[in-house]
Amino acid sequence: MAARRALKAVLVDLSGTLHVEDSAVPGAQEALKRLRAAPLTIRFVTNTTKECKKDLLERLTKLGFDIAEHEIFTSLTAARNLLEQKQVRPLLLVDEKALPDFTGIATDDPNAVVIGLAPEHFHYEMMNKAFRLILDGAPLIAIHKARYFKKKNGLALGPGPFVAGLEYATDIKATVVGKPEKTFFLEALRGTSCAPEEAVMIGDDCRDDVGGAQNAGMRGILVRTGKYRPADENKINPPPYLTCESFPEAVEHILEHLL
Amino acid sequence: MAAWARAVRGLLLDISGVLNDSGGEGGGVPIAGSAEAVRRIKASGLKLRFCTNETQATREKFVKKLQGLGFDISVAEVTAPAPAACRLLKERGLRPHLLVHDDLVPEFADIDKTNPNCVVIGDAAENFSYANLNEAFRVLIGLEKPVLISLGKGRYYKETDGLKLDVGAYMKALEYACDVQAEVVGKPAKAFFESALAEMGVPPEQAIMIGDDIVSDVGGAQQCGMRAVQVRTGKYRYITHKPRKTALLAGMSERRQLMGFPGLLSCSAPISTACT
Repeated sequence: MAARRALKAVLVDLSGTLHVEDSAVPGAQEALKRLRAAPLTIRFVTNTTKECKKDLLERLTKLGFDIAEHEIFTSLTAARNLLEQKQVRPLLLVDEKALPDFTGIATDDPNAVVIGLAPEHFHYEMMNKAFRLILDGAPLIAIHKARYFKKKNGLALGPGPFVAGLEYATDIKATVVGKPEKTFFLEALRGTSCAPEEAVMIGDDCRDDVGGAQNAGMRGILVRTGKYRPADENKINPPPYLTCESFPEAVEHILEHLL
Repeated sequence: MAAWARAVRGLLLDISGVLNDSGGEGGGVPIAGSAEAVRRIKASGLKLRFCTNETQATREKFVKKLQGLGFDISVAEVTAPAPAACRLLKERGLRPHLLVHDDLVPEFADIDKTNPNCVVIGDAAENFSYANLNEAFRVLIGLEKPVLISLGKGRYYKETDGLKLDVGAYMKALEYACDVQAEVVGKPAKAFFESALAEMGVPPEQAIMIGDDIVSDVGGAQQCGMRAVQVRTGKYRYITHKPRKTALLAGMSERRQLMGFPGLLSCSAPISTACT
């Protein structure tokens, strides 16, 4: 059996892994410093449809993390990269706060459709506009396909149902760019000259973070913070490469065993 | 006499895309020759029934619009989804939350809509707002046994100003959100065709369905044992896949296919001699 390739890159989930709401995970800032001392490329990855990189960076810097904007990779970034690759001009059905991540992309005379969580755009007229573009050959790109989410006053429809409706009407499959899609993880590594086998993902969501990363060829470390629930590690096959307490323990393992 | 027209005693006619193209204020634009074709069928002694998935208005309202466009049609000759849904709701003690076009609501006038235990979705057009969909979603997700009744499941339809999303797309959206499967009332559901045939008094093997939608009209009718004709008007122009072979198209000449429904009827000598 071939020896495991040396580790060259680490992907780190944000919410639930580095911080939980407005508090950093204890010891996480120092752990990140120690990780940076090693010869590793680091990327911070997250699914979001309405936080642009600048907003994320601001929040993390306030919590004491030493992070550069170019190290952040989100589902919005994944969508933008795909638009640039395909050289298309999107109809952006995304939250206004997400628009800064698409600066520089032409949106006049659209020939692609991007859907995020944007209730203000999901009215009949706009849906028909998107529908006609897709029928004419425009690719349909979904930031993610969440069915619904929890709001203060009850549950609310996510982008998933609208993507499903358009897929049915056009008989076309959407390209979903967020976790746990394989392409999300591969895209996050683009420009790092690291192969998936040379990378490890650290996250609190067993299916979306660890399962998704391992499916892309990386190793996955599940941390017991954030949304983690006991026995989550049994929910994926193969199981996580490692399950440990939190981000600092994950970093210790990497520095001791994977370099 | 052409083999395909043997022993035909009745015709089921789709409306939108066969008789007219909908859209605009006056009920749309009639398709050339269709009104005359309807008159000829009635004069020939063949039985006729209109089998439609129209859910943007009550039967009274859309029949009136069609009469205004010159068609010889009455409410008694129409099989439509809303009345069929009302029968089903009453049979099963279901009280609906309606996500339908404003103009369809009167069809549900004598249905108990308090404390809803199901959702009925129709071609709601502008009423397909995020807020309305969310409301319907919340009713469904809050039910122990979510029941979603969809009046048809069409993917899109053609109006004079272009293609528009039909009820099917929004049915799929709610199915996905709640992880449920909708029950379809209307074409292509078998029960719907069977009730139209019963109302006409003709068995399936002696009836022909004429429509522009390969799934709702042609496929659905064939699955009931009817023969079906697909006309190349209405939404046909926008379909890129080849229609599945129908017993009828195999026997028809190219010229008849291109001329659509009026064309079919203008070569109708075989049909008129077939009726008794």
